[in-house]
Amino acid sequence: MYIHLIDILFSGLADDLAYLDPGSGSILLQLIIAGLLGLGIVLRSQWSKIKRLFKRKEEDAIDIDADE
Amino acid sequence: MPMSKRQKVEGSFRDPSGFIFIDKGVLYRQVNRIYADDYQRLMESGLYSTLIKAGLIIPHQEAERLPVEPGIAYKVIKPDPVPFISYPYEWTFGALKDAALCTLSIQRRALKKGMSLKDANAYNIQFYMGMPTLIDTLSFETYREGEPWVAYRQFCQHFLAPLSLMAFCDVRLNQLMRVYIDGIPLDLASKLLPLRSRWNFGIATHIHLHAIAQKRYSGSSVSNTRGSRSMDKNAFLGLIDSLEATVRKLNWTPSGTEWGDYYDKTNYTETAFAQKQRLVSNWLEKIRPSIVWDLGANMGVFSQLAAEAGAYTISFDIDPAAVEHHYRKLKSEKQKGIQPLILDLTNPSPAIGWHQRERQSLFERGPADLVMALAILHHLAISNNVPLPNLAELLADVGNWLILEFVPKNDSQVERLLRNRVDIFDTYTREMFELCFKEKFSIVESSQLDQSERWLYLMKKK
Repeated sequence: MYIHLIDILFSGLADDLAYLDPGSGSILLQLIIAGLLGLGIVLRSQWSKIKRLFKRKEEDAIDIDADE
Repeated sequence: MPMSKRQKVEGSFRDPSGFIFIDKGVLYRQVNRIYADDYQRLMESGLYSTLIKAGLIIPHQEAERLPVEPGIAYKVIKPDPVPFISYPYEWTFGALKDAALCTLSIQRRALKKGMSLKDANAYNIQFYMGMPTLIDTLSFETYREGEPWVAYRQFCQHFLAPLSLMAFCDVRLNQLMRVYIDGIPLDLASKLLPLRSRWNFGIATHIHLHAIAQKRYSGSSVSNTRGSRSMDKNAFLGLIDSLEATVRKLNWTPSGTEWGDYYDKTNYTETAFAQKQRLVSNWLEKIRPSIVWDLGANMGVFSQLAAEAGAYTISFDIDPAAVEHHYRKLKSEKQKGIQPLILDLTNPSPAIGWHQRERQSLFERGPADLVMALAILHHLAISNNVPLPNLAELLADVGNWLILEFVPKNDSQVERLLRNRVDIFDTYTREMFELCFKEKFSIVESSQLDQSERWLYLMKKK
């Protein structure tokens, strides 16, 4: 199932040129899942905006990157 | 080890951005001209100060020192020294997980400042002041929107593969890192992971699907297709988020440790145990070592004494569960002076990598000022059949001072070890032990523990 899925996902992305790049599979996979991952970020930021509407102050919010 | 005046350190040769060298015992890093722009961006964008504030990168000063290769040099920097270099196959699950999260946290901060990690190598992370810290200052490059993460494969091989194998299969599989210097190949990880790991979105994507993609498209060129499809910044952040969520969800609970309740089970009365602690403390105060190796440290009761005496203490044990418990305890107490590591003393970490010089063997990272070998000798001599002269030789190689506990044959712990085997250890006596150790050490002090057959020794290497 995995094999078929990946063939469908990758169709048209890779052209078999003769130069060996061991990272090409890793790069292609990122390009494939990019849309999905980007969508996740967008949805999450929208969701936190919605949440903020209902919550005056998110005092307990823990931001792991709260460094600045 | 005799050292020429200025010596390039093996193991930092892959990256053309610069390299490490040692000059009169002090460690420096040459930054090459090819890396000048990225170095300046790191320092001027605020990224370096952000990372320093968060304790995520090793602090450095720009040094006046002359470069080793002036023709290609831009600058020489002097990073703060890390007291002991350790490797991922010596780390406990929790330590590897924290190192992975540290890497992702750095990457997230880098992206905010327009930079990105160009490698995600577990060896670039070291434990400094009790925290995982990036030691390779030259790991950053300018982020170009649309480009995927070049270090994605490396992150998966160095962190995600071992962590998922440890969490899903067996914690001892971190030892695969010792075999594969660039991380565990994803097809191997995928093959070893159980079926149920495919229901975990992160593992399914970053390991299983990733392994298939690597295999099927290893000979493909992606350069022609990048123009048509790229990875915007949201997608990039999404990738980091997904990796972080996957790592966070991986857990390992150390159950009944080999020596879990060791301190309760052993043959000491409370007074003898207190006496042992007092003796060790006194001797540590007397020697004032700066580096201590505690061999067979279990959960670190005696390592703690060494740390209290001001020594940076490496706390080794063979049992991953004991080391994990110790790591968690130190982390929750925010202790900085002890590093717990997994070590099988009968087969210690070898030198690995190119020319066997990329990663040092355990003994190359010594000697310690003082070695503690408390209640471990009988395990090595009897369970592992190591003759006493060989034990003396090894202990003399790893440290200048030695605090050792001798457990005689009539001790019930030793009786237990001998219960199911023929006693071939006629020479395992205290007299013989002293004779063998006197070949390599002078016995400075010795004392019998109250209401016990055990003896404690302070020895100095000859």
